[in-house]
Amino acid sequence: MFAIEIRDIHKKYKGAITPALDGFSFFVLPKKIVGLLGPNGAGKTTTINILCGLVKPDSGTAIISGMDCMKEMDSIRRFIGLVPQQIALFESLTANENLLYIGRLYGLESNMLANRIRYLLERFGLDKHADKRIKAYSGGMKRRANIIASLLHEPDLLVLDEPTAGVDVQSRAMILEFMKEYKNQGKTILYTSHLMDEAEQVCDDVVIVDEGKFVINGAPKDLIKSTTNCKRLEDVFLHYTGRVVRDTPTDE
Amino acid sequence: MRRDMSGLLLLLVMPVALIIVMALIEDAPFRDYQELKFDLLLADNDQGSLARQITDGLKHSKNFHIIDSLNGQPMTEAQLKQLLSEGKYKIGITLPAGITAEAVNSANIVVNNISQKIGMSPTMPARELRPQMFVHVFFDPVSKPAFRATITTALDKYITYSCTNILMQRLSMLSNGASAATDANMDDMKKIMQGIGVKEEPLNNRGKETMHINSVQHNVPAWAIFGMFFICIPIAGHIIKEREDGSALRIGLIPNAGGYVVMGKIIFYSLICMLQFMCMLCVGLWAMPLFGLPALYPGLHSWLLLPVSLCIGFAATAYGIFAGTVFKTITQALPYGSVSIIILSAIGGIWVPIEILPHSMQLMALASPLHWSLEAVNQVILRDGNIQSIALPLLILIATGGALWGISALINNRKYKNL
Repeated sequence: MFAIEIRDIHKKYKGAITPALDGFSFFVLPKKIVGLLGPNGAGKTTTINILCGLVKPDSGTAIISGMDCMKEMDSIRRFIGLVPQQIALFESLTANENLLYIGRLYGLESNMLANRIRYLLERFGLDKHADKRIKAYSGGMKRRANIIASLLHEPDLLVLDEPTAGVDVQSRAMILEFMKEYKNQGKTILYTSHLMDEAEQVCDDVVIVDEGKFVINGAPKDLIKSTTNCKRLEDVFLHYTGRVVRDTPTDE
Repeated sequence: MRRDMSGLLLLLVMPVALIIVMALIEDAPFRDYQELKFDLLLADNDQGSLARQITDGLKHSKNFHIIDSLNGQPMTEAQLKQLLSEGKYKIGITLPAGITAEAVNSANIVVNNISQKIGMSPTMPARELRPQMFVHVFFDPVSKPAFRATITTALDKYITYSCTNILMQRLSMLSNGASAATDANMDDMKKIMQGIGVKEEPLNNRGKETMHINSVQHNVPAWAIFGMFFICIPIAGHIIKEREDGSALRIGLIPNAGGYVVMGKIIFYSLICMLQFMCMLCVGLWAMPLFGLPALYPGLHSWLLLPVSLCIGFAATAYGIFAGTVFKTITQALPYGSVSIIILSAIGGIWVPIEILPHSMQLMALASPLHWSLEAVNQVILRDGNIQSIALPLLILIATGGALWGISALINNRKYKNL
């Protein structure tokens, strides 16, 4: 059984000229780190939002561990953890308060939750700042706290949307190291990034998407080998997606 | 809550200031004219007994302070008009020369007619009636029509009373045929005439006086409700901020958490509204007398104000959640929240009681949750109402809050899934 199975997904936002996803399909095997890569506006975040039940596709199917995202989202949310691009935390609360609040909403038992929070804060180097408000945190600290909030319920599938955007080298190294560690615990990770070196380093497989369509997938090393004149994953990426800048304004 | 103590204090302090200022400003307009004493300029060009009776009656009344002389000299009509046009006084009357003679002549004609009808010969000296004479009333030009009507009615009452006195004297002379016994018979006549009167009784059966609306009874609950509904602005602001900073997304990712979080907000903010209302009641009960205003009368069943304030708080909170859901940005929600509350309060009878508004406005008031809030409070503090009497407004407030909450949930759902 696939951890994620997406088939022929179509999605066009209201008022948009082009579709965000145009018959996009891909599969993710369990216990792997899979990178979903693509230029700006390729459809990465839309795909993640569909998987997390935040956006309804126009057509197609999205299945996680055999469960339909359109029908069984409440069940899916119990074993999926999304780390969104934005810092999805209450800025006026401390990290500890945020994590307690979120953990209680997940219905986690008090002792277990306290232990889990302690472990994760320590693991991400935030234990000494747990009683500081999120708004006082640096960018890297906020990113790490954002990841912790998605890990409280120990999800089997962790989805990270550009988790290392705008963080310093140390924070990035810590996040990537944790991703590998989490995979080794038998979990599946779907991750998006614009940093090809990072994806090459951490991913077992990558899926390249462009203009809402599937382009290619495979292990980074295999893709580099099979594509002519490519020495790095970034070369492969540019080979398939071209060098034209894709900065288009988002639809309001 | 401890994160925003200043915000919480503002929610409590601002309505207190509003209530005190509005109650003081509206105190005079709310007072019944019968409660006030006015300076009344009087120019007596008659100097007869009728003029004297009118003057004495006015001097002994609770409503008028008579000024009939200026610098030790009797007031003239020209001086009276001058003082009124300068705005120094509000009311003036002139008693025309010959008014007593005219009243006596009219009374004599009536008595002679009665004598003839019972077979007696007319005994009172009388001449033909002259054209009607008037006591002239002058008002400061800025006087409102309601004020003028009230004063004119009061003066009319004294004049009628004085004229009736003269008629009674003449009738008693007829019945006795001699003037010696006049005083004793006049007393009997007065007793007979005073046998029927008007006396106000309390509506409740506990012997307490009926509390009529006054500045405090209107302004304290009205502006407290206004302040409670203003909570929609911080609520809408928080909801939009949570959406913008992503914390709403986090809640949306947790199974079934959205409902609990909204429920928590509703309970918390409704309790804040209750606290706010109770603070305003305390201001009405204990602070208003410090400003020379009457203390708030909380009604015979004041405990009912607890469920009433909870229901108002629920409706106000749901309105805030609705505004926060419908609008995308704080800059949209802020003016909507404040302007809509001002409009709903205006049509809902917060500014002025709806009883004095036109019929069409009274019908519009039914659409305002602030009207039903005030109606529920007035049932308790003015009409000494019980649970049955507040059931309808409370049901409407709960239904309004529930509908706004439900619509917000639907909109929220659509926003996420049908982008």
